[in-house]
Amino acid sequence: MFRLDPITRRKLQRFRSIKRGYGSFLVLCGLLLMSAFAELLVGSRALIVKYHGHYYFPTYTAFHPGTDFGEGYSYETNYRKLKELFGTEAHGDWVLLPPVPYNPYENSFEEGIYPPTPPSFSQRHFLGTDTTGRDVLARLFYGFRIAMIFSLLFLVLVYVAGIAMGCAMGYYGGAFDLIMQRAIEIWSNIPFLYIVIIIASILTPNLWLLLGIVVLFSWTDMTYYMRTSTYKEKARDYVAAARVLGAGSGRIIFRHILPNVLSLTVTFMPFTISGAITLLTALDFLGFGLPPPTPSWGELLEQGTSNLNAPWIVSSAFFALVIILSLVTFIGEAIREAFDPKKFSIYQ
Amino acid sequence: MKNLLHFFSECGRGALTPHRVLKLSLVAALTILLASSCAKKEAAVTRDIGPEAEAYYKAHSDVFHFATPADLPKNLVWHDGHDVPEFSAPDAKRGGTFNFWIPDFPRTLRYLGPDATGSFRFWLLDDNIITLTQKQPNTGQYFPGLAKAWAYGSDGKTMYFKLDPDAHYSDGVQVKADDYFFALFVLRSRYINDPYTNNIVTERYTGITKYDDYTISANYRDSKPDLDDILGGLAPMPEHFYKELGDDYLQRYQWTMEPTTGPYIIKPEDLHKGSYIDLTRVPNWWASDKRFYRHRYNADRIHLEVIRDTDKVFEAFKRGDVDLFDKITPPKFWYDKLPNNDPLVQKGYIHKTVFYNQAPVPTWALYINTAMPSLDNRDIREGIAYASNFDLIDHQYYRGDYVRMQTGSDGYAEVPFPGIHARPFSVDKALEDFAKAGFTKRDSDGILMNGKGQRLSFTITTPYERMRDVLTILREEARKAGLDFTIEILDQTTAFKKIDEKHHQIAFMAMNVGIPKYPDYRQEYYSTAANKPQTNNFTNTVDPEMDKLIDAYDRAQTMDEIRRLALQLEQRIYDNAAFIPAFEQPFYRAGYWRWIKWPEGFNVRFSIDEYPYAGGLYWIDEDAKKETLNARNSGQTFPPEIKVYDQWKTANQ
Repeated sequence: MFRLDPITRRKLQRFRSIKRGYGSFLVLCGLLLMSAFAELLVGSRALIVKYHGHYYFPTYTAFHPGTDFGEGYSYETNYRKLKELFGTEAHGDWVLLPPVPYNPYENSFEEGIYPPTPPSFSQRHFLGTDTTGRDVLARLFYGFRIAMIFSLLFLVLVYVAGIAMGCAMGYYGGAFDLIMQRAIEIWSNIPFLYIVIIIASILTPNLWLLLGIVVLFSWTDMTYYMRTSTYKEKARDYVAAARVLGAGSGRIIFRHILPNVLSLTVTFMPFTISGAITLLTALDFLGFGLPPPTPSWGELLEQGTSNLNAPWIVSSAFFALVIILSLVTFIGEAIREAFDPKKFSIYQ
Repeated sequence: MKNLLHFFSECGRGALTPHRVLKLSLVAALTILLASSCAKKEAAVTRDIGPEAEAYYKAHSDVFHFATPADLPKNLVWHDGHDVPEFSAPDAKRGGTFNFWIPDFPRTLRYLGPDATGSFRFWLLDDNIITLTQKQPNTGQYFPGLAKAWAYGSDGKTMYFKLDPDAHYSDGVQVKADDYFFALFVLRSRYINDPYTNNIVTERYTGITKYDDYTISANYRDSKPDLDDILGGLAPMPEHFYKELGDDYLQRYQWTMEPTTGPYIIKPEDLHKGSYIDLTRVPNWWASDKRFYRHRYNADRIHLEVIRDTDKVFEAFKRGDVDLFDKITPPKFWYDKLPNNDPLVQKGYIHKTVFYNQAPVPTWALYINTAMPSLDNRDIREGIAYASNFDLIDHQYYRGDYVRMQTGSDGYAEVPFPGIHARPFSVDKALEDFAKAGFTKRDSDGILMNGKGQRLSFTITTPYERMRDVLTILREEARKAGLDFTIEILDQTTAFKKIDEKHHQIAFMAMNVGIPKYPDYRQEYYSTAANKPQTNNFTNTVDPEMDKLIDAYDRAQTMDEIRRLALQLEQRIYDNAAFIPAFEQPFYRAGYWRWIKWPEGFNVRFSIDEYPYAGGLYWIDEDAKKETLNARNSGQTFPPEIKVYDQWKTANQ
């Protein structure tokens, strides 16, 4: 749509030179990449099964009932049990399981042992289980994926709406600006948390509904910044020059003004993401977020705080939250520093 | 007007300083202004229900009879419960404050009309008012309440009562025969906005007769084995309090408590909306020293703090702000959060008790709405029953403390259901049933699909956040049988509204029952209540055969007949497979600070689960309280007390 101007490119270079922020950025990207292929790392379906000379790859393919592997049941194969069985039989059949061989939904109950159970390497419950015997690590990992999907989608939607409206208000000004600004002021005074709580207690929200509600009440923040900086940029000579050359409003906004105000939005991005993660976690914690049994950090925190006698639940969720939010904040700081106008603004 | 009175009484106490005179005159001027405007309004609304009630009695002379003592049948045998044993502890001490909690602030202090059936009604009505006769909760015999003697008519439908002239309302007014007439009039009136009660009362309570101010009789439609519960359970209503009864009943009586014949009242100043309510023992309560009532309701005050979250209640309990923790039964609390080796227990500050009671259990179950597409197919319902692994939940999640509920009417001592058992978890049987309904193929998630590509997926709606874990286990297990559940946990009001309006596919919840002699089927299974909002036919069962059975059941006159018909009804309910019983527990547990004392044997046989404080048998030992609080600071300890009372445990428990 538009080319980055040399100043922005220099800012990005500077970002790369800030080690802590850039490192955090790489770690977070790595985690995101891992979570995209979460099923290969954490899941109850085996990666590879060799059975009677055939290879099976159940992870992303169709469901295999137990009968496919000579078991006596018609529901999904329990690959952990299958692995044990193949181990004792020694027919040359084998099973390769993901490092954490549990999916975030299944309840593993052991006779005589009542969940939550503490971390155990032999059971491969590396962070223990929660109150219904689900693997905490699996729930954390899939909860991370959902939180990141949520916050990235939130970011995109909020910025598209906020930037479009903010630029339009700043660029056109006048009555349009006046009316929209009042409308936004009124809109942003609606107590959004209550609305979410009311809607969530009447309907059970799914990811899209929850995202919709949250975006509906959050896009306004961005308009304030975009409006003022567009006002500022609009008065510059290069905009006047473009207009004299016959450029239309759309071209001026997107080709000329937007690249110049973009640095502002970039500095906000990490904080928007951490805000979205916190928001989702808080809503889940209060029981107004995604419906059970969706894996979520808020739900884990809630379980953890009401079961302090099982400290592995609350500490896992807590440290996961602290680590991710720290990473995002480090990135945010680095971007802010890299994009600091004191270093790079050039006034004509 | 109350403010004005209050003001003058305040003034009376102090000297009239110039400043006060000024203030007084200002206020007087204001109040005159206010009063004049009020007077106009009040003149319009002040009414006297008396003449209307009198006219109603005349117009319905088939129900409201006036007779003379000479009209009493001659051969009546009067009972006065003299041979019934008392059940309170003679060593109970009066006094003190019982600090307890309520989950929510009540929406009204009325006990009739909309919103009146909330859990707070327990404190207003169920555990407070005294009825004509009362049931001895160990033996099942009856003892005097507001009636000092009673007799049975020869038709099996009538009871005669001699009223106790000592009985007074909490405002000091004597209870008389007229108040029973008035109660029936109110229960039949449209003012209470409660058509269900109107109907039941009008249809079933067919007559009331006044012989003199202290003698009445009442008639029921049918001859019943539990006539004592039905007619002896009648309670008077004070006409002087309902003088202004009218179309504005709901608003007018929203926040004032009816003068009660029971031990506790709520004073207007003790009502702190959203925060707490205090109950005060009626000064000189008329029944204080009577047999069966002495040594009961011993606390002078009951402080009910609104605490919305059970975990918070538990923390308040551990701090000593709440005297008794009644929700300790789940393993999470009993084994994990307050284990026997917890310092508070080991030091003897908090006592733990297990009590086996005999009472109908709350009906935890899946209520399948048979009016919904796919769920109208009996095979699918039966498949769902086989795919619901409550056995695992009872055994592993509840650690074997809970057992599988077999029917929706478990726990009636006199109405057993031998041979009817809930369907056990069986993937094969479930798959067989689903296959009959055309669901044979599994998709990539392992969920069954039919030929049209429809997935076998249903939503379970529940009002209980605390059942989240149970439902997630249920969901995971059902997937083995190719059945997918979506869990919908809604806010209580919203969920009950949805279920009441029959918009649910499957509801997971429990109905609470008191301690009647035999179960009631009309509410939940009669066809006229199906497919209608605000009824209890949650399964939308429409079955003409069942209707016939229920009609016969409701008119059954002996316990044998009731047992026979109940068994047939339960069998039909089982065959219909719309009610999937979940779990029950044969006992309840309690944790309490050591200053709360109990009678020998802890509680009564017919006590409702988790309500050890019902009936007011406990008392507060103020000395022990001081001692314990001091001991907490000084580190002094007492012998720990963890007791199991199984004197009422039955063989099959």
